[in-house]
Amino acid sequence: MTDELIARLAADNTPVRPLALERRILLAAAAGLVASAALGFLLLDFLVERPFGGAYGSPMFWVKLGYTIAFGLLGLAAVPVLARPDGRVAWPLAAAAGLMVLALALGTMNWMMVDWSMPALMGATALVCPWLIVLTATPLLATLLAVMRRFAPRSPLIAGLAAGLVAGGFGAALYAFYCGETGMMFMAVWYSLGIALTAALGALLGRFLLRW
Amino acid sequence: MLAHGTNGMTMQTDPTELRLRGLMLASLDGDAAAYRTLLSELGRHLRPYFTRRLTPAFASHAEDLVQETLLAIHTRRMTYDRNRPFTAWLHAVAHHKFVDHVRRQSIRLTVPLEDDAPVFATDETGEATARRDLDAVLQSIPARTGDLIRRTRVGGESVAEAASVHGMSETAAKVSIHRGLKSLMARFAGGSQ
Repeated sequence: MTDELIARLAADNTPVRPLALERRILLAAAAGLVASAALGFLLLDFLVERPFGGAYGSPMFWVKLGYTIAFGLLGLAAVPVLARPDGRVAWPLAAAAGLMVLALALGTMNWMMVDWSMPALMGATALVCPWLIVLTATPLLATLLAVMRRFAPRSPLIAGLAAGLVAGGFGAALYAFYCGETGMMFMAVWYSLGIALTAALGALLGRFLLRW
Repeated sequence: MLAHGTNGMTMQTDPTELRLRGLMLASLDGDAAAYRTLLSELGRHLRPYFTRRLTPAFASHAEDLVQETLLAIHTRRMTYDRNRPFTAWLHAVAHHKFVDHVRRQSIRLTVPLEDDAPVFATDETGEATARRDLDAVLQSIPARTGDLIRRTRVGGESVAEAASVHGMSETAAKVSIHRGLKSLMARFAGGSQ
């Protein structure tokens, strides 16, 4: 029985290129990013009627872009390691948590200076912002999880979390193009919440989808 | 990072690691002969590895685990990082399969055991004896029926799974199991009372 299996598997041996796993992740991330950008355009420009580049002129736009892309890149650093059975890495996730704390601290100082004004925290879109970020991130998350099903993560939950971080970070970056909010505290709370929700969704889905 | 460096050192000194890693790298480059050598050698390493970790009553699961692990090695070979020690990767795969198997098995075993309480009502040391007795008892009914009963009532498989192994419909398997148990009851339950 086992010998038969070995013969069958040996006959099925197709070469695996070096860095095949990394290539697949990057390809999936690129394809997912395009899909998320397309969905974001349809969803935000047509349905929610936000013009592209809402806060383009303000320096806060660049802060938001940098803040969100940092999460995406940290996730991308973690995914190839966590997708392996012997992979463990903590610094990208720790750095992501630290970055959120830092943003919240800066945001709080900023908010204090405007005397805890409610509009500075809530802007005009606080209650839809996290959900729209999750929605924008969904295609990217789905693409990543789909390609990761062929991997062998030590912990499907943590690997899913890292995929969610990639999707949440880049999804929020795409969202920033349609978002007119310029408050530091707004970004620290609502953008972070959107990214965290996407990461949690990734962990939840990964727990089931990435089992092997 | 520190662990990486330490592993890198064992990688160069341990002959098993060196040989297996060489075979794995050749396999990944498409060398079918190296791959076959690697898989059969891993099969030989994995069998005692799993047998040692299973209680005697479940020793028969070792072969299933070997096959599951070899299959996982094959389908997930992309996740082996060429710069890392091969044995560490192999152990991680085998460990994952073992944990997964035990968890799945214990979940399933609790369900059908309720029906079969008399057979397994003995303490753990008696389990091996019960298993041998069961084998003897199942000899007295048609082989296929016996196997169906073994799979569904002892192995923890669902009726559908056991039926598909024999290429029969679920209903036919249910009927067969029912008849088999009935004839066993008639033969053995009556005598002991």
